[in-house]
Amino acid sequence: MTTTDLHSLIAPFALDALDPDERSRFAAHLDQCVTCQAELAGFQATASRLGDAETLTPPDGLRDRLLSEISQTKQERPVIALAQRSALRRTLPRLAMAAAFLVGTVGVGGYAVEHQNAGAEQDRNAAITRVLSSADAETVAKSIPTGGNVRMVMSASKDSAVIFANDLPSPGDGKVYQVWMIDDSGPTDQGTFVEDGDMVMDGITKADRIAVTVEPEGGSERPTTPPVATIPV
Amino acid sequence: MVRRRFLGRENDVASSDARLRLAGTGETADAVDLSGLLGRVARGDEAAFAAIYDALGASVYGLARRVVRDPSRAEEISQEVFIQIWQSAVRFDPQRGSAKSWVLTLAHRRAVDAVRHDQAATNRENKYDWSNGPDFDEVEEAVTINLEHEQVRRCLDGLTALQREAVNLAYYQGYTYAEVADALEANPATIKTRMRDGIVRLRDCMGVEA
Repeated sequence: MTTTDLHSLIAPFALDALDPDERSRFAAHLDQCVTCQAELAGFQATASRLGDAETLTPPDGLRDRLLSEISQTKQERPVIALAQRSALRRTLPRLAMAAAFLVGTVGVGGYAVEHQNAGAEQDRNAAITRVLSSADAETVAKSIPTGGNVRMVMSASKDSAVIFANDLPSPGDGKVYQVWMIDDSGPTDQGTFVEDGDMVMDGITKADRIAVTVEPEGGSERPTTPPVATIPV
Repeated sequence: MVRRRFLGRENDVASSDARLRLAGTGETADAVDLSGLLGRVARGDEAAFAAIYDALGASVYGLARRVVRDPSRAEEISQEVFIQIWQSAVRFDPQRGSAKSWVLTLAHRRAVDAVRHDQAATNRENKYDWSNGPDFDEVEEAVTINLEHEQVRRCLDGLTALQREAVNLAYYQGYTYAEVADALEANPATIKTRMRDGIVRLRDCMGVEA
């Protein structure tokens, strides 16, 4: 897709009229395109005016429900703190921060599941904490301007990495995001998620890079679409 | 669509609210520093969150209703949007647009994703309102018609038929531009261009700072 083609997507993007694939591709371009960002701001403000033309009092009870829900919902931390975090020494506060980061990345979907799968969640969290708390943990963050981000924390000493996908745009009806670890022998499947997810990957030191693609529900054996995010190891 | 009870009463509320808004020239929302409130929300301030809800709850719910139509689905979406605001307020960047625009962009995207997800179960063909305006039910149920509504209508009226339909189908019905092209039997490249021309015209007509 040429740059001209991509620029023609600014208006459809502002109107949310792109399919997930094009949305991700445009979002990746948007990151490096200052002109697009400037134009998009005006387009999005215009679209918001269309959306705000009719207001409707929300149902009774929603306000109370939200207020009680947020009091139990963790918030995301500023991304800048992540960069500083890797410079911190591994002390107890660091562990606490890692735990806070971990909980903070559990998105809306994760929040709902949390109540049901407390046990499984604990096991996974333990595996994740092992990576996060290792002495050589390094964080790579990749933000996707459509509103989501992918972060990876890897530890060479544990030969593992954790990838957090937070609030990516919906991959589309009947589609999921699939994570791939790519080495000399090609991509290997690491699991799938929708919008939010985290997964532990072993054997990271042999990997060359990690990629996320949009695949049909259930995942594919090999990637079938261009990656929406690639993280070099 | 199931009619609400107490329609008459709601209509009274609607018209008095509309008058209130008109009298206040719609500046109520601007008087609240939404951007500052979002900053406080990002730091865990629950009272600021409640204030954001009070200022934008009706906008978010109104938009969700407009796009997905179904009241309980719209409520679900509104709930998700506000939880997302709570969780991700730290990502709001005042350099890249107003707080209200940020919130409505989140809300719209969720509503569109939901409508596409529900697409199989819904016959949108029968539901699309080709008359370019709120249908009878919506007029009855609309609680507050903003002052801006008139401006939006006027600006939409200023578009060519194809521009207006492209914008309407995409924004209010959640169509992708490819689906718009299909519905209007036009070339996808033409639709992209019409969307762009349409939104530029709307922007200028509404006096949005580019």
